Amino acid sequence: MSDLRQYKCPACGGAMEFDSTIQKMKCPYCDTVMDVQEYQNMQDAVYQNNAGSAGSDQWQAMGGGAWQSGETDGMCIYTCESCGGEIIADVSTGATTCPFCGNRIVMTGQFSGDLRPDYIIPFKLDKNAAKKAYHRHLSGKKFMPAIFKKENHIDEIKGLYVPFWLFDADTEANIMYEAERLRTWRSGDTEYTEHEIYNVQRAGRIGFSYLPEDCSRKMDDTLMESIEPYNFAEAVPFSTAYLAGYMADRYDVAMEERMERAKQRIKRSTIDAFKNTVQGYHSVKDVNSSVSLYNVRYLYALYPVWILNTTWKGKKYTFAMNGQTGKMVGDLPFDKNAFNRFVITWGVGFGAIVYAIMWLFMLL
Amino acid sequence: MKKRICSALLTILLAMLIVLPVSAGEGEHPPRLVDGAGLLSASQESELEDKLDEISTRQACDVVIVTVDSLDGKTAMAYADDYYDYNGYGFGSERDGILLLVSMESRDWWISTCGYGITAFTDAGMEYIADQFLSDLSDGKYKKAFEKFADLCDDFITEANNGEPYDVGHMPKGKLPLYWIVVDLVIGLFISYCIASNKKSKLRSVVSKYNAADYVRPGSLVLTANWDQMVNRLVTTRVIPRERESSGGSSTHTSSSGSTHGGTGGKF
Repeated sequence: MSDLRQYKCPACGGAMEFDSTIQKMKCPYCDTVMDVQEYQNMQDAVYQNNAGSAGSDQWQAMGGGAWQSGETDGMCIYTCESCGGEIIADVSTGATTCPFCGNRIVMTGQFSGDLRPDYIIPFKLDKNAAKKAYHRHLSGKKFMPAIFKKENHIDEIKGLYVPFWLFDADTEANIMYEAERLRTWRSGDTEYTEHEIYNVQRAGRIGFSYLPEDCSRKMDDTLMESIEPYNFAEAVPFSTAYLAGYMADRYDVAMEERMERAKQRIKRSTIDAFKNTVQGYHSVKDVNSSVSLYNVRYLYALYPVWILNTTWKGKKYTFAMNGQTGKMVGDLPFDKNAFNRFVITWGVGFGAIVYAIMWLFMLL
Repeated sequence: MKKRICSALLTILLAMLIVLPVSAGEGEHPPRLVDGAGLLSASQESELEDKLDEISTRQACDVVIVTVDSLDGKTAMAYADDYYDYNGYGFGSERDGILLLVSMESRDWWISTCGYGITAFTDAGMEYIADQFLSDLSDGKYKKAFEKFADLCDDFITEANNGEPYDVGHMPKGKLPLYWIVVDLVIGLFISYCIASNKKSKLRSVVSKYNAADYVRPGSLVLTANWDQMVNRLVTTRVIPRERESSGGSSTHTSSSGSTHGGTGGKF
């Protein structure tokens, strides 16, 4: 099997892409449309026939004399099947575009022989949706420098399949609370307050499914958590065909490393969920809690993310959009002068209004 | 020796002239400013006296200020009432007027009203007037305190003439002190800072997820132990302070001479 797989159109030979709007494979040249599964089956047959002719391992690490040891770690060279151009890429890159001929390439070598993704959520939103979301994201932001919107150009916009570990876990919790209920009434000139102190116990189980934690070191963990949630109901069994037209990363963070974070989030949610069952009190505090996880399972999945990069005044700004739900995040620059101007002008305005109201109050 | 007796007699005579100007003549009105304690300079005194005379004659209601060193063992109320009665203050048969007594002995003040003065200066009204001039009186700014008193009396009598004297629920409108400009500016800046900070926070959207609430398997929450047990009960009490309600109007008493006075007073 070849490392590089191009999805050639059976009709015209052009490179096919996965189209997020129709959720099918589509040839941008002759508009041929095919179902993903149908296409995959056909492709597999073609590649099996070619298996004898194609080398089993065409990529090689450049470890020659000129390179110092370790320098090329994490780098790979691929040869584009369409034009023969050499592509240097990170080992964790799973799909990319050939810089010479623009063909969409999936580096199947990255997925074969290693852990194969179990599921994939195909892109639901296209590049235009990402651009629109970006402009919506910028609009109405008060203290963003006005010039930022005008000057900044999106340096790069890419649809990226980000690898995620999905964690499933059941938790068992046993929590003791001390709760207080207040009741107040009046009799004559005296106000009575009744404090009822309760001991409350809640024990039980709660389950969590498909909690995603990204496992690409290149992706910022906080950025990826910000575009959550993803709806796993729309995930489909992995097929490389979905990668056509997008970039894809391979996991390079071990499951164990991300599991700690997942456990933390699951424990917090368990505590929250149990506390929600203690109702009808004025104050509730937990005095003793134990939460333990069991049945911890994990899956490997690729989730769609649109990444937009922009540079402004030498600083890089990264925006991410959930390719399934369209949720857009990204920190924006802050204009301190505009902030101060706003505080002073409106402060004086509000002060004048308050003063005027007080005057009216005195006159009436 | 003779000279000394002469000068002593002269002093007594002079003192009598100052303290008891009433006896000066039957047709003459007693002076409306009697500064027995010597709190004012001569020029301040004449200025203030002119003011009191002008207000009193215009309103046909005496506005009198008396300062003394000692109350001669009387209460401030009795001293003020008697001073008013025996010196023949007041306009008309009801002897309309108001008198402010300030005694330096133990720093007492008393306002005594009579006739139409009782109507014009209600209990709440007098309290209001006292609030306005007491701080100056305490600070020793006597001229300023007395002028405030005179102006307020003028204002109160005018209001009473218009049909409704100042009373509970109908108090003079105060003026907004200038320092409120600064206070309001600070309040305004605080409000705008809160709004601005809120808008600023919208620039940040990259935040980590605190929990996994989005991934709870629906219906997976099962409680195996679920009990609430009351362990303690206690009742605390608090007395609700009753709001003092004043019905307004003027309370009166009868002075030693048998006339009716209203009044209020205290220490400064």
